[in-house]
Order: sequence, then C-alpha cells, then structure tokens
Amino acid sequence: MPSATSPSNPNRAEVLSELRRMLSRMEGVAQQEEARLSFGLPALDTYLPQNGLAFGAVHEITAASEADLPAAFGFFVSLLARTPGHGPLLLVLSSRKLARCGTPHGDGLADLGLDPSRLTLVETANEAEALWATEEAVRARGPAAVAGVLGGKLTLKDSQRLSHAAREANLPLLLLRAGEAADVATAATRWRIGAAPAARDRFGLLSGWRWHATLERCRNGRPGNWMLEFDHATHRFGLAAAMADPSLACGGAT
Amino acid sequence: MLADASDAPRITAVNPAAAACRLAVGETLADARARIGALQVRLAEPDADVADLMRLARWATRYTPSVSLFKEHSGLDGFFLDVTGATHLVGGEKNLLADLARRLKAFGLPARLAIAENPGTAWAVSHFARTPCALIPAGTEAETLAPLPVEALRLAPETALTLRRLGFKRIGTLIDKPRAPFAARFEKELLRRLDQALGRTPEPLPLLAPPPAYVETRSLLEPISTEDAILIATTHLMQNLVPKLEADGVGARSLNLALYRVDGALQEIDIALTLPTQNPAHVTRLLGLKLERVSRFLESGFGFETLSLAVTVAERMVPHQSALATTSEETERAQRCTALLDALRQRLGSERVRHLEPVASHWPERSEKQTDRRSEKQTNEHSQNSNPEAAWPTPATRGLRPSLLLPRAEPADVIALLPDGPPQRLRWRGKVHTIAHAQGPERIAAEWWRSKTPEPTRDYYVVESGDGQRLWLYREGIPGRETAAPRWFVHGMFA
Repeated sequence: MPSATSPSNPNRAEVLSELRRMLSRMEGVAQQEEARLSFGLPALDTYLPQNGLAFGAVHEITAASEADLPAAFGFFVSLLARTPGHGPLLLVLSSRKLARCGTPHGDGLADLGLDPSRLTLVETANEAEALWATEEAVRARGPAAVAGVLGGKLTLKDSQRLSHAAREANLPLLLLRAGEAADVATAATRWRIGAAPAARDRFGLLSGWRWHATLERCRNGRPGNWMLEFDHATHRFGLAAAMADPSLACGGAT
Repeated sequence: MLADASDAPRITAVNPAAAACRLAVGETLADARARIGALQVRLAEPDADVADLMRLARWATRYTPSVSLFKEHSGLDGFFLDVTGATHLVGGEKNLLADLARRLKAFGLPARLAIAENPGTAWAVSHFARTPCALIPAGTEAETLAPLPVEALRLAPETALTLRRLGFKRIGTLIDKPRAPFAARFEKELLRRLDQALGRTPEPLPLLAPPPAYVETRSLLEPISTEDAILIATTHLMQNLVPKLEADGVGARSLNLALYRVDGALQEIDIALTLPTQNPAHVTRLLGLKLERVSRFLESGFGFETLSLAVTVAERMVPHQSALATTSEETERAQRCTALLDALRQRLGSERVRHLEPVASHWPERSEKQTDRRSEKQTNEHSQNSNPEAAWPTPATRGLRPSLLLPRAEPADVIALLPDGPPQRLRWRGKVHTIAHAQGPERIAAEWWRSKTPEPTRDYYVVESGDGQRLWLYREGIPGRETAAPRWFVHGMFA
C-alpha cells in the first residue's frame, strides 16, 4: 500500500502521516478524531501522533524527583480534567508517597480545571487491590476516564493487562507513578515532570504553574522536551517563553 | 450440674442423674454435698447461656423470620417461633415439629416443643406437659391448660405461691372463677396471663429482627460449601424474588444472605447497593466480590444446608438516569458506572469509594467532606434549589488552593524578616528551603461560632522555593494581637 501511494504523492509529510495512521490501525489504537486527550496546545498536539494523547492506551507520568511529585500530580490532574464530555472520572489512589504529600483537595482540583463533582476517589489498601480496581474501572466502561496513582512495581504482565483493558474499552488510562522507576512497559507515552518556577504576571503575582515536561517515550512518535505552563484563570496549557525576564514571560501563557 | 454463687452457692440446674438422686434446683450446695458425696459441680455461666440461646434463635430463623426470645419472666430458656403462614414450607405443623425436634436432637439438645394458637399456651404446654412434643389444636386451650399447675401461666414466684396457699393448684380451678376477687387480690398480671394463655387477649412478641418484606429461602438436599455453589444458589433465590419485587415496582437496595450451616451456626453476608436493582446477575456478581473479601471469615465447616436471601431495604425503582441523560448511551454509561461503584464497594469496602462534596465553610479543613454517596449527580436539580450554598466555589471568589492538602497541618520552622512579614526561609521535614517568592497573606479567620475557645486566625502564604516547589504555609495567630511568637505550619502542596 505505501509503495502504491508514495510515487503518486510526492508530499513526504503526508506519506509519513499515512504510514503512522496505518501503524496505529494495526496496533488497534482508536481512530476517531475526538477520541483523544488534547492539550489544547497546537504545538504539542501536532507533535503527538494522535493529535493528543490517544484513547485506548496507557499514559504514564512520573516525577523527575520525589520533590516534584506534587507537580507531577498537578500535570496528571490537569490532563485528566481535559477528558471530553461530562462523564464521571475515577481516580484510584494507593501510593503512600503521594499520601505523604496530602490528599486531593476539591478546591485545589478545581484550580487545575477539574470539576470535583465529576470525580470519584477510590483508595485502596495495597497495590494488588489498586491494580484490580483500576482494571475493573476500565473494563466497566462506565467512567469517561480512569486514572491511577500506583506506588508499587508493575510487572510486564500487569502493564499488559492494563493496556489491553484500556484498548478494549477505548478509554484513556493515566497512571501516575509516584517516585517509582518508569516501568509500564506498554505505555503509549511516558512523561517525566519536574517543577519549575511559576509564571508571574506584571504585578509579580503567580499566574500559572510551570512544569518541565519531558516526553521520554512516545509510540509512533518522537520524544520531546517542553516548558509547559498551566494558566490559573483559563485552565489552559501554554508554552512558556524562554525569556530571562519573568515580567515578559506572561505572554507565553495566552 | 451447675452451681451459682450468690449468698451461698445454690444449685441452678441439674442433669437427669442428679434429678434421680432427688436434688432440686434452689438447694444450697452445702446441703447437696452433705447428701451426695460424689457430686460434680460446674459454675453457671448465664451470659454464655444467653449467647448460645441467641445463636440457636438465629438458627431457627430458617423456619420463620419471626423469632422472639423468652423474656426474664418466662425464664431465659427458649424462644417463640411465629410460624403463622410458614408451616407449609416444611409440609405442615406436624412435620415442622418433627423436623425441629430431629435437628435439635442432632445438636444434642433434648428440647421440649409445643405448637399452639397463642404464645401463652405454647409456653405452658412446652414447660409442663408430659409429652416433649405437643400440637395443640385451636379451640382446645382451656381443656389443655386445665390440668397444668398455676406456674404454667408465667407468674412471678410469689404470686404462684400465694395461689397455691389459697388452694389454687391447677389452672383449671382458675378458669371459670369470677374475675373481680382475683383482680382485687392479685396484681393485674394474673388475669392478663390467664387471658393470654386462653387466647382472649393478644400477646405481641418482641422479635429479634423485623421480618423482611421480601425473603426467599431454599433448603438443599446436600450441604454446599464452595463459593461457586453459594453463588448459583443465590442466583436462583434472587430469580425467585424478582417477580415479587417487580409486582411491587421496587428494587433491592440492601440484601442479606443468611447461610445456615449443618451444625447450626449461622453466617450472614450483607450487600448494599447504590441504586435499587432487580437484576440477579448484578447481585450475584456483587456477592462474588464480597465473598472474595470475606472468604477468610466464612467458615463453611461441613457445608451450608439452607440459604435465605432477604431484601432488607427495598426502594421504589425510579428511572433516575433517563430523566437526566439525553441519550440511551448516556443512560447505559450511568448504569455501568453505578454497577462499577457497587462492585468496588463490595470488594474494597464502602468507605474506600468516595466523592468530594463542598461544604459552605471558608476554613480549609472544613471546606469539603468526603461522602460515600454521590448525591449531587442524581438529584442535581433538587440540590440547586434546596441548598444553593453547597456548590463548589468558583476560583475567582477565593484565593489559590493547593491540589494536595495535608490531612494535618505540619509545623515548620520559618525565618521571617518581620514578625508579620512573609517567610524567608523554611525548614520542614528536615529540609531547608530558601523561599524565592511568597504571595500573601490571605487571612482566614476562625469560625468563632463553632467553638467556645476561639482558634487563632491564620495568615496563608503561597510560597515557592528556588527549585520550584510550591507550598501552602500559614502563620497561626496575628503577631502582637493574638500571640507573641507565631507558629508556622505547612498545610498543602501546589502543583
């Protein structure tokens, strides 16, 4: 097929995108355009093979260091909040490391753009229960998206089970790995988040969180590296302008 | 033989061998020892007796849900079963009596049983008739009771003694006597008991548990012990319950599965649901998940011979979702969601699955509560009308809030340039952070109407350390006004 299309179509980029689509079709990743978690940021969305985070796949988020865990949690929640529709969202919590940083606070989640009334929190006593609950939630196909903060080690079999469940249900499954080695072998994307000094407005007040986002792994795509900014008021992602003067950096948010 | 220690040790119960030696209940132990040298004595354990009786009574719910223990005045040694309308399940009263006698005998309990029209007669006959099993036909109470002693009326010992002294030894001598002299001489109790025994006034029984409206019981030919078998049997029970539920337009919100073990022990499993259901498959699945969790506590022993599924809470089936959801797909999704939450609750415990709910309070700890029921989703329209304040505040109306709030604020060592100035350096959890930027203060006053001793005012700062870590700090107390040396606490973490 590609050999038939490539001579007739000289546009190299189009051929590549066609090939990518074929690849994803072969891997069973969702094809619908709306079935994706978009960042709402063209620079980032077009970089990703599915124009965003694909549904029906596992997306892994890790913190660059233990101190960056709240930042990683913030990135994770703001991504979860971008799930289209108004369906309920389910968050499985089992990590002790995250529990050391606190429990999710409704008002704070609202600041990250997540409507707290959409959210169901499931707290589990151990890792086995958390894995079971996550898989069960994905397979039930009830929630619009499932997210898990898992602490322990994930074996290859566990991660295969999770991604298989996500693919069958065609739901995005976000996993925040609290301080563990990135080991979801079947993850479609893997992000490493580090905290960065926040953006300020011209009065010197905090106007947006900033994170060093490293795309370490991306199936059918390339890894990348961004300085992301999350605007407090509009709940949108932006790219922080790499400027030395913080008073000028506010332009990157809009 | 049992002895009880009160003023002097007295005998409270004797076994047949001791009864043959003419030992009587109430005799002092010293007298008995003097007469019989080889007397064996055990201490009475009334609490254990009552507990065992309770267990037996619960076991007896396999015949009828209406079981009532004897009260103090009836001697705590048995229980009533209200078998009205339950006898046909075991093939009539005679079969019921035989079955009960056989099973009790298998437990090693030689029980005295009687079936009568009213509890009074049944009690009298079971305690004082010569036969251990008696079936008193309706309308023959008077002639059955006539030859029995007056104690059979469940009277206080003094009353019975007075009656005996007056020459009334049998109930028959009391039945047709004029009532007025008795009413004058004795308490009301005598006539009431007599009327109750003769069925002239009704006697309500205090039941162990109110009988459920929907209950289905099945006795098995062979005892079962595996989880799969229990699940299959429960599915059948639920399938039998469904027509009754459908006829009344209700669904089960809470179910109770009682497993009667061969040796008389009873094990119960409760299942609670988010929305009423009539679906046997759903119930079976939830039960399976529950069994997975409680299997450690479930002792099947030699197996379960009878299963009983009762709907303890039934609720009208209201098509909640169809009113709210716009498409059938959304309805299905909502149903799948409730099924999922039920499943998670059964397996993990209902307190583990929670929703965040706003509370109209500006005090951070009290600004939300975690509930195990999603109320605002189902009654969206109602809640907006009736309780307008219980909505999440918009970010514009309050300051920044951390996404992770520490359950308890943790004390930290802070260096500030001025007592009421922003923090400069922070030592917390054994690490020193240099604060690059502090935003605040946001002053939050305590809710003085809640407690008598007012909590100090808090000044909250959003601080950012040099490496980008963002914390929510507060200073407790206004320096100079509320406190001399304010203390600092870390209360949350920002993204």
